[in-house]
Amino acid sequence: MEKYPGEALSSKKMKEVTHEKWNPRVKYAWSCGEAMSRFLNELKKGKLIGRKCHSCGKIYFPPAMFCKFCFKPTDEWVYLPDTGKVMTYSISYLDMHANRIEEPILVGVIDIDGASENMGIMHYFGEMSPDDLTFGMKVKAVWKPEGERTGSVTDIKYFKPLEGSE
Amino acid sequence: MTFIDRIERPEDFRHWFGDMEAQYVYTSGVAGDKFFTALKKGKFLGTKCDQCGKVYVPPRMYCEECFKALTEWIDIPNKGIVDTYTVVHVDRDENLLETPEIRAFIRMEGTDGGLVHKLDVPAEAVKIGMPVKAVFKKEKEREGRITDILYFAK
Repeated sequence: MEKYPGEALSSKKMKEVTHEKWNPRVKYAWSCGEAMSRFLNELKKGKLIGRKCHSCGKIYFPPAMFCKFCFKPTDEWVYLPDTGKVMTYSISYLDMHANRIEEPILVGVIDIDGASENMGIMHYFGEMSPDDLTFGMKVKAVWKPEGERTGSVTDIKYFKPLEGSE
Repeated sequence: MTFIDRIERPEDFRHWFGDMEAQYVYTSGVAGDKFFTALKKGKFLGTKCDQCGKVYVPPRMYCEECFKALTEWIDIPNKGIVDTYTVVHVDRDENLLETPEIRAFIRMEGTDGGLVHKLDVPAEAVKIGMPVKAVFKKEKEREGRITDILYFAK
């Protein structure tokens, strides 16, 4: 690096040199469509819902109105339990703003019981230590109290180990 | 092939509103830092290529024609000409402005570069090629940013 002019800037030094700071207003609205609207509205009621295709038998979770395997509309709404398996996970010692944190955030993809394989939702894990987290471990949703739910995926606070498993 | 299942109450359709965090810090670099530090003192700096003679304002570290490192720093007088301009009728959020503003590319005299800035000239009086000069903020208020120049004027 020495043959090039300049130097690597520390975050402190970055404020000493001339710089521009900007926070662009990047607002968006995403219209959820038929399947996702129902999914979010059911979350508010404390329920998980999927969508079944009668030709291949796959159950989509989160729901989809169209089967990507059969190229036809899916046929039926199905309620699913709020339990599942840990498909992938990550132990993060960085928060959303890339600050180092002491207590790691546990996140991962959960395969909901009853839904077809390789379909799941991403969520937090709680009531467990990072060492407890394993692939295939059974978990259960912990919901917010009914009055606090807004019809968002955060109506589930996190997934905790399913009691009585293992 | 039709969808049998339909949402019939439009209020059941959901929208998700979001706000993306996209904050950033842009540091001006080695040459940029020198330029803005000089700007704070009310001066323009440029670099000159001793091979092709091109004068860069704002300064560059390397000549884009010769790929040569530029080491010759020169003071640029506060004199420019309007190279091209736009009459702006709306602000960044598309609100109509009461009086249209002018944004121009001002070529600094005797150089191959220039700056994009506000032009304090009535819209009907702007002409390409008209001589202008930078009007700076009061020295105490300058921060080493392009806004240390209030605008260019006749």
